[in-house]
Amino acid sequence: MNIPKHLKKVRDVTITPQELIDFETKVKKTYEAGKIKGPIHLAKNNEEHLIEIFQYVDQDDWVFVPWRNHYHALLHGVDPEKLFDSIVEGRSMGTNNLNPNFYASSIVGGIIPLALGVAMGIKYRGEDKRVWCFVGDMTMETGVFHEAYKYSKNFDLPIQWVVEDNEMSVHTPTDMAWGKRQEVPEGVIYYKYEMEYPHHGTGKWVNF
Amino acid sequence: MANKRDTVFLGQACKVSGHAISSTLVEVPEEKRIELPVFEETQMGIATGMALEGLVPITMYPRFDFFILACNQLVNHLDKIRDMSKGEMTPRVIIRVAVGAKNPIDAGPQHTQNHVEAFRKMLTEVEVVELDEPEDIFRTFKEAYERSDSKSTLIIEHGEFYGTK
Repeated sequence: MNIPKHLKKVRDVTITPQELIDFETKVKKTYEAGKIKGPIHLAKNNEEHLIEIFQYVDQDDWVFVPWRNHYHALLHGVDPEKLFDSIVEGRSMGTNNLNPNFYASSIVGGIIPLALGVAMGIKYRGEDKRVWCFVGDMTMETGVFHEAYKYSKNFDLPIQWVVEDNEMSVHTPTDMAWGKRQEVPEGVIYYKYEMEYPHHGTGKWVNF
Repeated sequence: MANKRDTVFLGQACKVSGHAISSTLVEVPEEKRIELPVFEETQMGIATGMALEGLVPITMYPRFDFFILACNQLVNHLDKIRDMSKGEMTPRVIIRVAVGAKNPIDAGPQHTQNHVEAFRKMLTEVEVVELDEPEDIFRTFKEAYERSDSKSTLIIEHGEFYGTK
């Protein structure tokens, strides 16, 4: 993966790919049993990518993630039991907490200005930590990503952008939606993976 | 508020002169003023993000018409973040929005709108205060900064009053 050279490994990730898969499988089964009263967005096939990335994410760093966020939460240190309970409550898209600093949103691009602001706050206060902002290939094409990326580069803000490319814009292939893709900007970590689950849910129980 | 350690002032024409609100910042130390591009939604998210880092941003919009572009970050994020974090995240932002003047010149349909009632209906957490009288100014800002519930405040100002009251 294209990890920028200035980043250093700061964390020994002990969670295994199988543990991540097992967590999502448990969520899947609980959802299909009708016990989760809110939408879920399940991940699979990006376990190795995220485990590699989170070796560079310090425990004091801020992590901003969209709706498909269970893996990121676990890897950043959110308690698995707390996360699972929150998902069952219907908060899969927004399990947000401090210590570790973790914010997820279900609005496309919604995390981007917030992540930028936290990075500005860190720089303003002279703190030694970083913001990690994960976006999909759909969001990378949006205007808000480009203005925030440009601003962060121009003002040398402590933020690392990560693009997770599953080739989908919600239900629509990104190539179909946009016609042509932008090139991944300089310094942005990029990885590609294949979706195993639908955009939301598991394909069973309910559509909304 | 200019002397508080945790305040920071954001917006267009906050380091340079430009609009009615700019004229109220002349005594704010320059290092506390962050000049931003015109990107209203991102500006709103920046303020919320800086507040998550413990600062109290005062973010300024010179026209209500322009502030509408910040609606996503205001309504979907700042206004919902306490609920979305079960009360763990309580960013306190002070938002200043000016309604454009119609006198002595009328700035027209895209520079003079006042949507204060619509925003009162949309917002569930952020408190909306419309400033009508000069004697309310200091009290309103003091309460917005010191409020014990740590909620954010949207303060609506009238550009016309800068010259008449």
